Amino acid sequence: MDQITFDILWGRLIATVNEQAAGLIRSSFTSIVREAGDLSAGVFDKRGRMVAQAVTGTPGHINSMATGMIHFLERFPIETMRPGDVFITNDPWMTASQLNDITIMTPVFKGGEAIAFFANCCHALDIGGRGLSADSRSVYEEGLQIPVMKLHDAGRPVEAIFELLAANVRTPEEVLGDIHSQIVGNEIGVTQLLGFLDEFGLPDIEELSEEIIQRSEDAMRARIEALPDGTYRYALPIDGFGEPITLKAEIEINGSDLTVNFEAPPSVPMGINVTLNYTRAYTTYGIKCAISPDVPNNEGSFRPVAVTAPEGSLLNTSFPSAVGGRHLVGHFLPSAVMGALAEIVPDRVMAPGFDGLWDTHIAGTRRGTGETFSYTWFSAGGTGAMKTQDGWSATAYPSGIAGVPAEVIEFLAPIVVHRRELRTDSGGAGEFRGGLGQTMEIEVLSDEPFLFSGLYERTEKPAPGLAGGHDAPVGRLHTNNDVRLQPKISCLVPSTTIVTLEIPGGGGFGDPRARAKESILNDVRNGYVSNDMAREVYGCDADVE
Amino acid sequence: MPFRIGADVGGTFTDVVLLDDDSTKICATKVLTTPEQPDEAIVQGVVELLEAQELDGNALSHIIHGTTLFTNALIERKGAKTALITTKGFRDSIEIGREHRYDMYDLHMQKPKSLAPRYLRFELDERVLADGSVLRPLEGDDVHQLVGKLKQEGVEAVAVCLIHSYANDAHEKRVGTILAQALPDLAVSLSHEIVPEIREYDRTSTTLANVYVKPIAGRYLNRLQSQLGDTAGFDKSLFVMQSNGGLCEAADAAASPILCVESGPAAGGLAAAYYGKLLGHSDLLSFDMGGTTAKACVIVDSEPLVANDFEVDRQYQFKKGSGLPVKVPVIEMIEIGTGGGSIAEVDAMKRLNVGPHSAGAVPGPVAYGRGGDRPTVTDADLRLGYLDPEFFLGGTMRLDLERSREAIHDKIGAPLGLDEMAAAWGIHQIANENMASAARIHAIERGKDVRKFPIFAFGGAGPVHAFGVAQILRAPSIIYPLNAGVMSAIGFMTAPLSLQYSRSFPTLLDTLDIAGVNALLKEMEKQGREKLEKTIPAEDVGFRRFADIRYRKQGYEVRTVLPDGPLTDESAAVIRKNFEAAYREIYGHTMNAPIEIISWRVIAHGPNPVLNLPTQSEEAGATADSALKSRRAIYLPKHQEMREVPVYDRYQLPAGVRFKGPVIIEERESTAVINGDAEIRVDAFNNLIVDIAQE
Repeated sequence: MDQITFDILWGRLIATVNEQAAGLIRSSFTSIVREAGDLSAGVFDKRGRMVAQAVTGTPGHINSMATGMIHFLERFPIETMRPGDVFITNDPWMTASQLNDITIMTPVFKGGEAIAFFANCCHALDIGGRGLSADSRSVYEEGLQIPVMKLHDAGRPVEAIFELLAANVRTPEEVLGDIHSQIVGNEIGVTQLLGFLDEFGLPDIEELSEEIIQRSEDAMRARIEALPDGTYRYALPIDGFGEPITLKAEIEINGSDLTVNFEAPPSVPMGINVTLNYTRAYTTYGIKCAISPDVPNNEGSFRPVAVTAPEGSLLNTSFPSAVGGRHLVGHFLPSAVMGALAEIVPDRVMAPGFDGLWDTHIAGTRRGTGETFSYTWFSAGGTGAMKTQDGWSATAYPSGIAGVPAEVIEFLAPIVVHRRELRTDSGGAGEFRGGLGQTMEIEVLSDEPFLFSGLYERTEKPAPGLAGGHDAPVGRLHTNNDVRLQPKISCLVPSTTIVTLEIPGGGGFGDPRARAKESILNDVRNGYVSNDMAREVYGCDADVE
Repeated sequence: MPFRIGADVGGTFTDVVLLDDDSTKICATKVLTTPEQPDEAIVQGVVELLEAQELDGNALSHIIHGTTLFTNALIERKGAKTALITTKGFRDSIEIGREHRYDMYDLHMQKPKSLAPRYLRFELDERVLADGSVLRPLEGDDVHQLVGKLKQEGVEAVAVCLIHSYANDAHEKRVGTILAQALPDLAVSLSHEIVPEIREYDRTSTTLANVYVKPIAGRYLNRLQSQLGDTAGFDKSLFVMQSNGGLCEAADAAASPILCVESGPAAGGLAAAYYGKLLGHSDLLSFDMGGTTAKACVIVDSEPLVANDFEVDRQYQFKKGSGLPVKVPVIEMIEIGTGGGSIAEVDAMKRLNVGPHSAGAVPGPVAYGRGGDRPTVTDADLRLGYLDPEFFLGGTMRLDLERSREAIHDKIGAPLGLDEMAAAWGIHQIANENMASAARIHAIERGKDVRKFPIFAFGGAGPVHAFGVAQILRAPSIIYPLNAGVMSAIGFMTAPLSLQYSRSFPTLLDTLDIAGVNALLKEMEKQGREKLEKTIPAEDVGFRRFADIRYRKQGYEVRTVLPDGPLTDESAAVIRKNFEAAYREIYGHTMNAPIEIISWRVIAHGPNPVLNLPTQSEEAGATADSALKSRRAIYLPKHQEMREVPVYDRYQLPAGVRFKGPVIIEERESTAVINGDAEIRVDAFNNLIVDIAQE
């Protein structure tokens, strides 16, 4: 195969998975899939190696998928598969570490033989159990577990599984509808792939996959090789649940191999434990952002990177630990990784930021009508600064989700958002400043007490600065009437209460005294930084009106 | 009066087209754009055409105008000093945006900068709730206090965007009144007038973008109108093309310039739809490739797809989410970072990549000899013989083939171990692959499959690449219209007058307040009728009515056609049926959930103008012989080498002639490259039609 034909085929393969994803997104029933692209889609070769992946949403789905296919092949060897077969699982230890994340896999048949696989993973609106929360003590409480199973058998839907699913979830229409979309997405991929194999007269993608994987591995190895050998460490403290947790990352670079070893406390009897594939997903995401954003995701780009964590620890939890809120810990891993890399590639990492989305859930009754309501939304704080730029204010990282407008919150629920503004001085000071967090002031229009549950991080342990940059001030949660709220415990709150969330910003980078005067003046003029802070921390004496 | 003129101001050229409806004659001229005073080039072109036809300005019934001026002001941040007035607690909505990153992996990503810096965002202690009720009334004194600050800061334009103003516009109106009295020279836009729809970030962003260019638009359109009067003796209506494919009067465009920012591309889409209809293709893919990007527009049932929002100034590789959101209806285009100036390079995986980085006009492709040293698509096309170094832009610019060859060899061929011709062919092919994939994925997102759609090719590089793109998409044929260089100006001529209105009035379909909705629709129709009747006879005014509908609690709405006339008790069932059809079209299924209507829209429009293109009778047995300019060697993929093919002069090809590819057909602004087997003919409208041999 000549060079240009190879490039064209590689491009076509990537277009194929993007078409698979577009088809899935288009027909999805769930807004998070449609608007935030919260899914992953990819194509795998005969050996279950990921060859190409669509450019979509969140790292948890994307990167855990690469290692997932092998489990399907272990349970159902390729020679036992028949045309029309479709497979399913939501096993957190094999895929995205949460029962809501359902993976659907479809083999591609050509000339009577399975030659490749399409798979995608989507977040289901519901999976039974307690619903999405960190409250479960084991995975059994978290909902329906689906081992690797046949969903379609030689073209025939296995009705028993659909019935079982429908009976176990609160929103059967959406959940089954999305599974259908997932099947359709794979079918689009299969059609496109067969079309281009025919066009180019290829029997399968083996030759292509070998070359793609090899080249991506070479590119990744070249990036690692360029880093100095050695061991680099970073410890990132977070609030945790009940007691603080320190995520300790140790990065070993040896030639073109990179190993990340984590130390973490033991698993806990609540749903914040993380399976190793999810730990690996967010770790490789952090590494990719720092050293290889342009290298495509496939088996080859993952190969040179190994991730370990002690078995049974919070970051490599064992069955049947509860894992529903694994993102509450997992989202901090990219920062832990970048903290360690900061020593060698300071210009390519970001200081730690707020990292964990602030997840607010309110339930109660509507004033006047007494109708019950329940509403959940996510809010972002500030990201950490880099060596050459300020952090982003109120921007989700590492999660890829989008926020909800205040008008939409108020339209859908009897909630009044009195304030949604950037928090002055909430970005960690530095030569480059951390992004600002935001303040939200919320009132519920109800005649009765309402249930307020937040999952809020960094109210005790601040986002640290890097290279002399300062920590960002912690987040705060307070009320107008001395009702004391806990950041991770649900609470019944009197209806006259106005709750204020002060979502934290990101850490600074470099010595604040080295910040360009023009930037400080601009910050003060626009109220991102107060006069006091400019004087005391940045050492800038000019007052700005 | 049968004469009308269309004038399209582009980055380099201003195209002016005169149409004589009686004799169906089209005269066109291209004048160099005068960026400082764009009206000068228009007036010059208009005068030139009038003189050539020995006409007086008064012989024209109207002039239609489209410009990139407003878009450029937004992109270059050269608009007015702009402030925002909003509800207490919300001055940062515009900066917080969607709390989202548009690129997953790029830590150096830049977010679009707000048009009003934070120190110019002011708050009023007032509050309206989601149901339109007032929680805290507006105090007029608070507004008067702001007047002082606005003056002190030298603010030229103010966007007023208060929370839930789409549900109750009283506070915004009052702010508007006070500002108009106190600061009569200040440009003001009220959000409920620009986008009366829920979602404060999108509404604020749109209102800000509008008022940011409003002073420029007003000054410019005024000057243009008076210059046309003084110099060309023209005193009829000046219309401006809007992004949605309709026309509005210059005064409306001056008040809401944001409705007109995508006028050029929209007109291209309209022109494609018009030609498709003319030639019996109701489904078509319009393909416009220029210097930095290619634009594709999907036309179904003779109408370009329309979207309710778009973005200006995408910061990053034309990526969704990287620009300023603008929530106004627009003919939907996919813009792909592949154009003549797109740079080819070898990436970390040793892949040949083309675009989205562009050499732009300066330094431009290596062949321009202006200091560019990275090979581009144009360099590859030149190397392959597809472009004639002596006849680029009709011979106005010489291309340096030797430089191109050297850059292709050094930057692509050598690192990949390819000879320089194979490398050039690789660049051409990868560019085609990029465009075909982007168009196909875009169509799949909209539930359409553009494979097997005929392609309508124009733009400077469109005809050079259309044949390759068509083969990838398995298109049966390609249409290369005559006058491809002035397609937008021709598109103007097919656009009806059109004014759009919308109101947010969220309601469940099951509990539809028929009387309330009828009143709303009637009010919008009345507004439209009153305006249009100033220009056209009452009986020519028509209405199209839509609603934005979704399943309850979904994030996005689907544009749904409403039945004509006043709604009745039976209408709910019709609306449901229309919504389900539209929903299925996009998402492939329907749901069993309550249906919620968010906004109501009325488009008041005039009649579709008649455009008669000049025709020639097709001669039986016509030959291309007299059009043969020369023979030149071009790269033929089938033979993997350069071989001589005939080069025809497009303007000398008689109607009715048929011949076979491979062949090159040159015209002033572009070159049609047919580098493989194909049946080619020239139809009665002088369109070049290429039928591709299907394997």
